Amino acid sequence: MANEKGITFVGVAIFFLLLMFFPDLIIEHYLFISILFIIAILMPSIIRTSRKNMTSREMVMLAVLAAIASVSRIPFASIPSVQPTTFVIIASAIALGPQSGLIIGASAALISNMLLGQGPWTPWQMVSWGMIGFVAGLFAKSFFMKRLTWRLIYGFIVGFLFGWVMNLWILFSGFGELNLETFILLNTSSFYFDLAHALSNVFFLFLFSGVWIKILNRFKEKYGVFGDGG
Amino acid sequence: MPRGFRSFHPFVLMLYYIAVIAGLMINQHPFFLLAAFICLVFVNLILDKGVELNKWKYMILFLSLFVLVLTPIFNQQGNIVLWTVFSREIYLEAIIQGFMIACTLSGILALFTTFSIVITSDKFLYMFSKVFPKWALILMLALRFVPLFRKRLSDIQDVQEMKGVSMKDGKLREKAQNGMLFIQILLTYSLEEAIQTADSMSARGYGLQKRSNYESYAWKLRDSYVLIYIIAFSLLIIIGWQLHESVLMLAPTLESIALEGNSWFYLIGWISLISLPIWTEGKEVMKWSFYQRDL
Amino acid sequence: MELLSARSLNFTYPKSSDQALTNIDFNVNEGDFMVLCGPSGSGKSTLVRLFKQELELHGERIGEIKYKGARLEDNDPFLLAKEIGMVFQDPENQIVMNTVMEELLFGMENLGFSSNEMRKKVAEIVHYFGFHHLLHQRTSELSGGEKQQVNLASILLLDPKILILDEPTAQLDPIAAKDFIHLLKQLNDEFGITIVIVEHRLNELFSIANRIVMLDKGQIKFDAKPRDAIKLFYSKMDAYLPEASQLYLAFMEAKEASNVPFTVKESKHWLSGMDITLRSTVDEEEASYINKTLLELKEIDFRYAKHTKPVLSNLSLAVHEGEWLAILGGNGTGKSTLLKIIAGLKTSQHGKIKYKGKKIKKMDQKRIGYLPQNPKLYFLHETLQEEYHALGEKHGKSDDEVFELVKEFQMESLLHRHPYDLSGGELQRAALVGILIGNPELLLLDEPTKGLDPAFKDEFAKVIQSVRKSGVTIVMVTHDIEFAAKHVTRCSMMFQGDVIVTEKTTTFLKENNYYTTMISRITKDSHVPTVVTVEEAKTHWLMKKELLSSV
Repeated sequence: MANEKGITFVGVAIFFLLLMFFPDLIIEHYLFISILFIIAILMPSIIRTSRKNMTSREMVMLAVLAAIASVSRIPFASIPSVQPTTFVIIASAIALGPQSGLIIGASAALISNMLLGQGPWTPWQMVSWGMIGFVAGLFAKSFFMKRLTWRLIYGFIVGFLFGWVMNLWILFSGFGELNLETFILLNTSSFYFDLAHALSNVFFLFLFSGVWIKILNRFKEKYGVFGDGG
Repeated sequence: MPRGFRSFHPFVLMLYYIAVIAGLMINQHPFFLLAAFICLVFVNLILDKGVELNKWKYMILFLSLFVLVLTPIFNQQGNIVLWTVFSREIYLEAIIQGFMIACTLSGILALFTTFSIVITSDKFLYMFSKVFPKWALILMLALRFVPLFRKRLSDIQDVQEMKGVSMKDGKLREKAQNGMLFIQILLTYSLEEAIQTADSMSARGYGLQKRSNYESYAWKLRDSYVLIYIIAFSLLIIIGWQLHESVLMLAPTLESIALEGNSWFYLIGWISLISLPIWTEGKEVMKWSFYQRDL
Repeated sequence: MELLSARSLNFTYPKSSDQALTNIDFNVNEGDFMVLCGPSGSGKSTLVRLFKQELELHGERIGEIKYKGARLEDNDPFLLAKEIGMVFQDPENQIVMNTVMEELLFGMENLGFSSNEMRKKVAEIVHYFGFHHLLHQRTSELSGGEKQQVNLASILLLDPKILILDEPTAQLDPIAAKDFIHLLKQLNDEFGITIVIVEHRLNELFSIANRIVMLDKGQIKFDAKPRDAIKLFYSKMDAYLPEASQLYLAFMEAKEASNVPFTVKESKHWLSGMDITLRSTVDEEEASYINKTLLELKEIDFRYAKHTKPVLSNLSLAVHEGEWLAILGGNGTGKSTLLKIIAGLKTSQHGKIKYKGKKIKKMDQKRIGYLPQNPKLYFLHETLQEEYHALGEKHGKSDDEVFELVKEFQMESLLHRHPYDLSGGELQRAALVGILIGNPELLLLDEPTKGLDPAFKDEFAKVIQSVRKSGVTIVMVTHDIEFAAKHVTRCSMMFQGDVIVTEKTTTFLKENNYYTTMISRITKDSHVPTVVTVEEAKTHWLMKKELLSSV
């Protein structure tokens, strides 16, 4: 268990380091690297979750949260680019752990797309939200997620990362012919959307993360589920 | 239609999509890509008269323009300079490349508009459950919850509006906060109620043993034929790609854009693969119109 | 043959000092149709849940439960899941799948049936239930009654020997409830499936069941045949009896249980032998309230979207000041939409609204209190105290003023509880206090009696009457004709998006043939004066001696 966490942690770290210091490398071979990355990081957890004997209560709780994450944008339809889905995923992941965070995040993406129509971005969205949940869950018990300040910083960063990863699908279609400049341009064109996303994450996390984690923990106890934080 | 394109086994349909996406990415030649896009528009037309595609037209237009304009500005590799704008050279190669990327993107989007029509959520979940049975079940549960939660959410909004808590007016901050309070009520309420859902699952024997799976999609002989068809043409495309017959070389020197000899053969193969839905579906349309005329 | 039994069964929930069940001795025989009844919190649900091992009720259990003579724990879990089927109260929460077909398959897939078996069994059950038109629908699009039937079908596919049902009709409208009960009778008659049903509404069940078990405070009060049960119900718990029996018992002694009527037919027979006249000194009921119109709707049209059918069409309605108006009508007649228009949540596309004589565009929501069907959706805070405090602040009321209200409704002891930990009746009262903090002039109630037991219903009526006395006008949407007959001043009947009639309750119910109370159906067109409730009969009827011919 700890071993797996370690592997995932190292994988995530390497990816982000590569993204930060050798963006060219990632951009040039991103197809290969992303696929490897997805397989290396997410597959073991997904397979483990799929093999684990989950009780009906655990299944239902995950389904409820995934559905809430995707339904939660409805009331916000009137406020452009504010949607609490990312917040719901982070809060659930902190309460229920990395595996659950991953499943909730990826499922929320799949469900939203099933309702709105699948697009070539579906897999990227699954990966983005899945990772956001996974990482939040991974650090749930460390100072990183226990302190509100860090939670807010995390929410802010993932707001941007989410947009960037989502933009990758366009690069993906160009089969590596597009260069880094285009990618950056793509990201600047979506800057305001990403900023709104990042800020709304911070806003929701600031006001609601405490209450939500408390509510989820209470139900965790009431349901008698997710005992070991897995 | 029970016998059209949509009636094939989900795995066959999925393979079609994978093959066409892969084809769109490897056949980097303007004619191949343009032909593909036109074919895919016809596929859309025959599947739902273009209703879905119509919803996405602005996205397709926007992305195409974006790429058509920006690629020549940023791509500074090539031999043939057409113009110089603001001390930047615009290369013919870059324009061609921009065109190809635009076609690829439009093609992929046009393909995905048919995806939701052909691979409905039932079929998608069917395939998903073959690979990740537990996760698929969570998805099914969540999909069942979505309409229920929408209803609850609108009830919550009504009840709270009567109390004076609403998203209709006020500052952005207040609106967002109230909206989140609604979601919070939805969360607490739904988690409370969902215990009963879990009980109802257990009461019907969930978790006692390995679940069996109802085969809603039986494999028929025609699925095998179509499978062979897709595999054969996919192989053809891969060969064409490997022989550079379906790829336009931009560097070191720009190839002639015109198609020659064998390239035509591979183009026909490529079009045959993409237009699979057109004749499987078109055959049914024809059959019906003949049938009705006979009456 | 004994199918299911419990011997000196005791059960305590964790963190609870009281026993939920005490010394239960209980057995169910093959082919039984058993009704378990009792007030809320008497342990009925706990008892039936203990029979379903898969639910793993947390708590301490002492005593044994046996299925077919072997302890529950010693039975094959696979067999238990298959043979003991369970239907729960809320049709919505039990459904786990998106389409009816998937829902039907769910249980069979859990138990590993093969595709061929499943196909055949689904075909059979769809035929038996007449589900052809529903099979490929989304479960969210079904009505409550249809949902509950799908739940039942999904369980029947596992071939249960015994069906346990925990208030299966509490959330259904009366017609769907009746259909469901008759379906159970059919299963019991035609397939010999043993049935154990927990219920409050016993009108239909009395003539169908062969055993009635009464639970109170975790103990079995009695276990008897329906006819014998009448005597035992009498005096304390008679609200559980069918109205027909209540009417009889109001005038006759219960010595001979064999004569007590259960149905309209039996009652009519009994009354045919009676000589009853109107009491001469009947004072006309409260003519005290003045017919001053508070709210008037005229020619209201409403549809949700341009292309959908109109929900309300040319609807007119006048609400009098100080009255309690009930809006009745079947599913889909537009009752809830009407309530939303009155509440100002929706704006009509055509028509006028007048409030206190003044024409307005939309209702001012500050004047209106709205008690939702589901009071849980009302609460935003963790305790009632916090909720009331926030509401007080909003409406400019001091904590003392708020506490006055809390005291008036006897909520002091519940102030520090989480709203979700309250019982159904308490929850309603709690929400009502919150609403009254805003001093509404008009109170809207949406199906307030759904799922309440008879005692809570009466208590709720008392609370509403006292609210009404303080000058609040009340408009209630309901399916519960019996409740409306007892308490409401006027009734409006909705049909196809329009109010077709608004009349004084007694006049309304006396004129109707089908949409009326059991008592009205018994006394209508007979030689005795028509009445609509047992109370009315008690005050209005003068019973002379029995006619000799009937003996």
